[in-house]
Amino acid sequence: MLEIDGVSKRYGAVRALHDMTFSVQPGELFGFVGANGAGKTTTMRIVLGVLAADAGEVRLDGRPIDAARRRRIGYMPEERGLYPKMAVGEQLRYLAELHGLGAADAKASAQRWTERLGIADRAGEEVQKLSLGNQQRVQLAAALVHEPDVLVLDEPFSGLDPVAVDVMSAVLRERCDAGAPVVFSSHQLDLVERLCDRVGIVRDGTLVARGRVDELRAGDASGASTVVVHAPDAVAGWADAVPGVTASRVEHGRTVVTLDAGADDQALLRAALATGPVHEFTHRRPSLTELFREAVGERAAA
Amino acid sequence: MRTVLLITRREFLARVRGRAFVVSTAVILLILVGYSLFVSSIDPGGDSGTSTIAVAPETEAITPSLRLAADDQGRIVRVLPVADAAAGRALVATGDADAALSGPPTRPRVDVDRSLGSGTGSVVTVATTLLAQQQLLPDPAAGDAAVAAAEPVVVAARPDDPAQGLRIGLGAFGAFLLFFSIQTYGAMVAQGVVEEKASRVVELVLATVRPWQLLLGKVLGLGAVGLLQLVVLTGAGLAVAGTAGLLVAGAGITGTLVSVLVWYLLGFTLYATVYAALGSLVSRQEDTQSVLTPVSIVVLIGFIAGFNLVLSAPTSTALTVLSLIPPWTPLVMPARIALGGVPVWQVALAFVLTAAFTALVLWLGGRIYARSVLRTGARVSWREALTGR
Repeated sequence: MLEIDGVSKRYGAVRALHDMTFSVQPGELFGFVGANGAGKTTTMRIVLGVLAADAGEVRLDGRPIDAARRRRIGYMPEERGLYPKMAVGEQLRYLAELHGLGAADAKASAQRWTERLGIADRAGEEVQKLSLGNQQRVQLAAALVHEPDVLVLDEPFSGLDPVAVDVMSAVLRERCDAGAPVVFSSHQLDLVERLCDRVGIVRDGTLVARGRVDELRAGDASGASTVVVHAPDAVAGWADAVPGVTASRVEHGRTVVTLDAGADDQALLRAALATGPVHEFTHRRPSLTELFREAVGERAAA
Repeated sequence: MRTVLLITRREFLARVRGRAFVVSTAVILLILVGYSLFVSSIDPGGDSGTSTIAVAPETEAITPSLRLAADDQGRIVRVLPVADAAAGRALVATGDADAALSGPPTRPRVDVDRSLGSGTGSVVTVATTLLAQQQLLPDPAAGDAAVAAAEPVVVAARPDDPAQGLRIGLGAFGAFLLFFSIQTYGAMVAQGVVEEKASRVVELVLATVRPWQLLLGKVLGLGAVGLLQLVVLTGAGLAVAGTAGLLVAGAGITGTLVSVLVWYLLGFTLYATVYAALGSLVSRQEDTQSVLTPVSIVVLIGFIAGFNLVLSAPTSTALTVLSLIPPWTPLVMPARIALGGVPVWQVALAFVLTAAFTALVLWLGGRIYARSVLRTGARVSWREALTGR
């Protein structure tokens, strides 16, 4: 299990991270979302030891992380980078060996990943001669070539074509199923929503929301839910008398009703049917994008 | 340690396989051969056509003959009358006179520093003969005998070392190679650091190795490339000198080679660390030169001053002082050692000073490197590099 516990970091007067806390279980895919500059990259760099935290601790399997354990992490930095003049295969072998693999294992692993990612025929070419998409695949291979026990990927999907996105998703899922904790950040919230077991939304260096995607979508902590009803013959305010309804408004000819926690939505349905035909009756679950906007939008209000 | 070796191996192979290595080795070899041919085509005596000769009172009679012989040979001779033979020798020792004459005018003792230059020599020889002829001895046979006996007796204060030329050559050759290696491979260390920053690969690497390991691996790897080139060039240089019959036993070639090696290792570590730290301050290859220039100038000054002093004034105080100032010691000391006659305490002092200075540079450079290498964008200021976290 990867635990980030109370990590803080300042750059001069700028507070980059404040009491950042979350954990990723083995076999869990954790999505890390937030606006630009919210602190995602800083968090990941601290996990990798590329940056030193001012306070707090990163633990792996219950023990503070150190250089030897960091070698077991597969990392994809936000700023992509490889040795431009080094051949693909040689570069992957080198990185695998730097992470502690023996020469033979490094060679086999570099071979395996270049094949898996469809760049085996480019293994002898210099990285700078590859297309950007293929360079991204090499970058992913570089994160995976030492068969890491933990994956920390900063924006792994940015710049990938749809095929590579599928390959990347499959690889992440596979590592996860093999029992590795996987953390990745992304701005592609639909992908995060689809892939991740849990997400954390970060704002101003602090995690403002975290949990399973469906939990987050199910509503806020009070348990209130939103129901959209399309009953064209209903008069305004038809739902206000229904027990448990705290608010209702009309949007695009539909009534948007806010229900208290534990309120009986069947009572609302019966009240709607009493007004005439009902064409639509749905619980509206906010998308991750909406949750994200809401969480991040508080900045403006604050 | 395995990590450092892996990095060292990568740096070494990346450079040795490159065409630049082969090309630069060939070019430098050509320059060296050309330079040696050029130097050997010049008369090492440096005869200027003017001789200054000190003459003791008892030898004074030779003066008119000296002037006559000089006019005859188209040379300019300044005659300095001195109080006695010792005063003449003193003038020679200080370099104010080329030769000092004393004793009988037809068979004078000629005191010189190292050797009697050919121009001055022939003037003195002709003058003694002229003087013998002018003595107008009644007996022609006695006159002939006197002329035959008239001959200067040359006494050198410090007789010429037959290996002297080779020593100077080795010294200059060593100084040049050290200068070239430090400039070239030191700059390559800086370039490598900037390349890693510019391509952002440094973050990936630093996620698994410590900054000091990366720095050390780089310095060792490129140092090994420089060393390989040094060995190739020295081997080629010695082979050329050997076939040209320039190698003379007793010139201390082995000692010179060992000292060049030791000073190269020390000097390279010193400058490569400085260059790596400077390289870590910038993020773009275009900015590298501007941060390296001040240090390159320091190296260049040490090399030019040292090289010229080795050739023109190998025993001067200026060269001694230069060879004891740490940033210049590795460039100058090996040449002085090749020349011979350097007191052991000076070598020891120079070594200790340079080693201490290098340790300081390693500490400071490592600090600057670790703090700056992950900062991309604008050039990192000195204050940030030294105090930031």
